Amino acid sequence: MVDLAMHMMDIAQNSIRAEAKNIEISFIENNTENTLIFAVKDDGTGMSPETVAKLSDPFFTSRTTRKVGLGVPFLKMTCEQTDGKLEIKSEPGIGTEIRASYNTNHPDCIPLGDLAGYMILLLIGNPGINFKFLYQLDDEKFELSTAELAENGIDDLSSAEMSSAVKEFMNENLKELFGKREKESFLC
Amino acid sequence: MEKIKTLADLKRKQEAVKSQVNLRDRASRAENLVQIKVAMATCGIASGAKEVMEYFVEELEKRNIEAVVTQTGCMGYCYAEPTVEVKLQDAEPIVFGYVDTKKANEIIERYIKTGELVDGIIPKNYETIN
Repeated sequence: MVDLAMHMMDIAQNSIRAEAKNIEISFIENNTENTLIFAVKDDGTGMSPETVAKLSDPFFTSRTTRKVGLGVPFLKMTCEQTDGKLEIKSEPGIGTEIRASYNTNHPDCIPLGDLAGYMILLLIGNPGINFKFLYQLDDEKFELSTAELAENGIDDLSSAEMSSAVKEFMNENLKELFGKREKESFLC
Repeated sequence: MEKIKTLADLKRKQEAVKSQVNLRDRASRAENLVQIKVAMATCGIASGAKEVMEYFVEELEKRNIEAVVTQTGCMGYCYAEPTVEVKLQDAEPIVFGYVDTKKANEIIERYIKTGELVDGIIPKNYETIN
């Protein structure tokens, strides 16, 4: 995984496989303290404490098509290489929350990547799921959710024209948000 | 063209697009459309499934092919990622491996348009060696 947007897609796919109906993706950046918390919270099937303990083992997977599972181990690697940490809270029947913290002034911190592009693909590819996306930079934030889009009559992104419009909307707002950073960061 | 910065801009855009095509109509006829599933697990993402999925979404509309493009998990063919499953109406789904935008173009032009099989099909009875 070369950027955080790829991790976002990857971890969200885990939630989708866990039959989640609501998925909240958040990036909370603290520019003064140089930290970023990337979190994905879902209301999927959840996992037992025994399963959670095995998640960071690359040779553990719930799939039967292959014997390795690298999504979570990669995420753990990229956050730990910046002296950050990975936390997973999960309860069967309730859902899962996964939080990866990064030190953004660490040279090994990976960039954000194309957050808008991946987010649009998640929205197009999974029409039955409610997504909430949040990017917070200190006190400023940008939010986008399936519900909010639906309120504005945008309930089908399958047309290329519409999906690129939503992508532009995200990119424009994120660009403005990132412009407010006081300190330089390895994120972009 | 004007930049889209607020939800109101998006709403206006949606209304403009909706007047051109009836989107609801399309979704309800999903059974009759070309169905494309792009594998998007760790292996797929790492090998560039995003570019392939974006290409299918854009190109199929440009070439006036009614299709539904969705995501799926890993099908076990990690060595051949990005993989794409294509289901034409009245045909068995076929999985293509090593799909880049060039291959995607070939799949659209030859398999989807004319039904001609192209290189890169992963046989159904293929099993990974454990």
